[in-house]
Amino acid sequence: MYFWPGVAAIWAALFFGLAAMVTYFLVDRGRHDLLSVARSAYAAFATSVVAASVVLMMLLIQHRFDVAYVNSYSSTDLPFHFLISTFWAGQEGSFLLWCLFGSLIGLFVWRSAKEQEAPVMIVYIATFIGIIAILCKQSPFKLLPPPAPTDGVGLNPLLQDAWMVIHPPVMFVGFASLSVPFAFAISALWKKRWDGWVPRAIPWALVSFVTLGTAILMGGYWAYKTLGWGGYWGWDPVENTSLVPWLFTTALVHGMFLQRVKKRHRKVNLILACASFATILYGTFLTRSGVLADFSVHSFIDLGITGWLVSILGFFLLLSIGLIALRWRRVPVLEEEETGLLSRGVFFILGIAVFCALACVILLGTSAPLLTRLSGTPSQVQTTFYNKTAAPAALLLAVLSGLVAFVSWKGASARELFVNTRRSLLVGAAAVILSLLLGGRDPASLVLLFVAAAAADMNLRAVIRKAKNGKFGGAGGYLAHIGVGIMLAGIVVSGVYARTERLTLIKNEPTKVGDKTLTFLRVVPGSATRKQAMEVRVETAGGKTAYAYPKMYVNSKTGQLMANPSIRRSAILDYYLSPQQYDPGQPEKVGRDVQLTRGTTQSIEGTGFTFREFNADRSSMMQGGNEVLVLTDLTITPPDGSKHDATVRFVYRLDGAEPESPEVEVPGVAGAVMRVVAVSPSDGAVVLRLRGISKDRASEFQAATRESLSLEVTRKPLINLVWGGFYVMMAGGLLALVKRTREARRAVVPVSEPSREPAFPSPPAVPVTARTTLTT
Amino acid sequence: MKKGYWVAAALAVLFVGLGLTSFQKTLTPYLSFEEAKKSKGAVQVMGGLDKTSDRYDTATQQLSFDLVDPQGNRMPVLYGGTRPANFKDAVSIVAIGRYRNGRIEAEKLLVKCPSKYQGSEVERAYPSDTGGSGI
Repeated sequence: MYFWPGVAAIWAALFFGLAAMVTYFLVDRGRHDLLSVARSAYAAFATSVVAASVVLMMLLIQHRFDVAYVNSYSSTDLPFHFLISTFWAGQEGSFLLWCLFGSLIGLFVWRSAKEQEAPVMIVYIATFIGIIAILCKQSPFKLLPPPAPTDGVGLNPLLQDAWMVIHPPVMFVGFASLSVPFAFAISALWKKRWDGWVPRAIPWALVSFVTLGTAILMGGYWAYKTLGWGGYWGWDPVENTSLVPWLFTTALVHGMFLQRVKKRHRKVNLILACASFATILYGTFLTRSGVLADFSVHSFIDLGITGWLVSILGFFLLLSIGLIALRWRRVPVLEEEETGLLSRGVFFILGIAVFCALACVILLGTSAPLLTRLSGTPSQVQTTFYNKTAAPAALLLAVLSGLVAFVSWKGASARELFVNTRRSLLVGAAAVILSLLLGGRDPASLVLLFVAAAAADMNLRAVIRKAKNGKFGGAGGYLAHIGVGIMLAGIVVSGVYARTERLTLIKNEPTKVGDKTLTFLRVVPGSATRKQAMEVRVETAGGKTAYAYPKMYVNSKTGQLMANPSIRRSAILDYYLSPQQYDPGQPEKVGRDVQLTRGTTQSIEGTGFTFREFNADRSSMMQGGNEVLVLTDLTITPPDGSKHDATVRFVYRLDGAEPESPEVEVPGVAGAVMRVVAVSPSDGAVVLRLRGISKDRASEFQAATRESLSLEVTRKPLINLVWGGFYVMMAGGLLALVKRTREARRAVVPVSEPSREPAFPSPPAVPVTARTTLTT
Repeated sequence: MKKGYWVAAALAVLFVGLGLTSFQKTLTPYLSFEEAKKSKGAVQVMGGLDKTSDRYDTATQQLSFDLVDPQGNRMPVLYGGTRPANFKDAVSIVAIGRYRNGRIEAEKLLVKCPSKYQGSEVERAYPSDTGGSGI
């Protein structure tokens, strides 16, 4: 049973998507009169996807719990913004969100593709048809058999956070935007348009760079601020599988700039565009098919779509590899141009190589469970694997990103380069000296810090140089590189110089941690709008007092204990208080607890205790009372060989009052008494508390514990540089996006590619066949 | 430009070589309790929690508990942290660490819950110290 309007919209999307592909194909074959039909078919496709999304959203808002998806992820007690976010809380909804953004982006793609519209749109639509087909099979509009539940299961409390509302949509805009450079690249291979696709696709690669990058950072910030993972990056498969396509996209952006200027590295860019799209599909397969279920923090249950995901991935991989192989020898390669090693072109190529190598290594690590499963024992790599390999790559990238601001396309001599960058090297040295004075000793981190600071300064000077010449609009790359330097410095400093202490605060007893004094004051009870929190007084040496409220509460629906850190932020230092454990305190306890399961015997100090049976007498409850009497039958076998039967009473109160459990003597053992302190009918178990059975009385005594809160206190210096550097990097990306979009609008791309470039008179190594293709 | 390609290729090869060696070094296999006892490196084991066995020592701030596999074998685990959320309701617990002194000294626990939330994020990892999980 299905909710038919939604299902109809999905099937309509599938139909119109295919129709648009077919008509665009006819346009490509010369039926130019069909262009408006093809566009209308695409508009109908987009409208259908939007309609399906609206239907799902309406069902969620109207609490239609007879719909399985609505029932599984939402409930009536969710505030409105979380209700919206339940749309993408499950697999089907997030696939729909991906298609929704894809179909909307497509409306801009067809306008920007211009002379390449037909082939680009065919490939572009194809990238979403597979997911639409998955949604036809695994519909979010499945109905539950009646009667309809009155309330839903609700949203996982871990996802009930403001970031959940914004982070996934941005991520899926990034995912969807990756289809655009891919569509341009495939159509370039198909139509042998080796250079013409680049100016049109650059803005789109930058869109992916900015959206995917922003989404990755948001995820990291969410993890840091709310989830209390301690850090902002844990090398989890879900994080990695979005980082890898982003690295390929970043490499692609650089490669495209290079191709625009130099008209070379055509194959590199075609491969990179395919790689960034293929890795997003591969990542989707890894995280959604359940193959990583035992290895990841995020796990998705296999919905039975693994085969579909593998087929989609296989299809696009074969298409990319096949087309590249087919065209490999036909891609024109220009004669070598002599430049020194210290030239901009070489630096770009080196940077691209490092991005790709890093992406491949991360991909390898993330795929470890899959790869090792093939050869035997499934294994995974530790996070040190990523840290070890990412550090040298980051170092290289920072060096290149700094020096590139001072080398021209023609090349520079080492002496020139040194003279020009001297000032920045001093800035780097200053950062290292400062760090040494503050106690930094780790040589690797000092080297990284030196490079990061110097690189940031070099690019800062480049931006100023550009701005002075009135070309600030062209400084996007340098601006992004400043961000890289700042961010790297932040990663190093906040990571290497972080100090963590674990401590237990006894209520009302001040404890000194570093230069601060912490006192746990009380538990602040939660309300409908606020979660239960722990009040901690933070006093600095200077006498300033502040209060921190790390949250710790039990989710009423699931009984899960949730803990959110409290971060006391300042410009230079984050003081991170992560609650670990709350102990409400216990009065002193005398006795020894023993758990017995029905029919088994346990020997305590030589005396055997056999739990035979218990009888629950519910007659009082039946008559409206609120207690249940449980009689526990035991057989006791003391060391002297005798055998005794005993029955212990336990009265359980339904109103939550203290159960009544009188102590009885342990027959045959002088001075020993016992009582039942807990019964668990479902497990068939009781817990006995024995007193006086042991000769060593001290072993039965447990001192009272006081109300206390265990905290993990971390000082993270300069973590703001990580966020700040990232903003600068994204600002650089946006600036470049503005410039390249303007450029693309003006760009005149020949309908067919000329076989040689006038700028370079030398003939291409491989003869090029130029054939007229599409004319619009 | 050709020189540039060669340097790039050399860099990439070096880097992938570094990646492959540390891949070998840091691989943590999923092992049975018996295999884990023989292993010297980092391993991960999975088992159900024996609910009567878990103790949290406030003084040392260490958690110890026993995992039981489907065959009934026991594996004591020591973890330098507090009880993760959902710990008591876990269907199974994955402990990642080294086998030393007759027990697994875990650096990380993965708690798998009988979640009503089918789909996303039913588990969380609990790195034992802030620096250990990444950066």
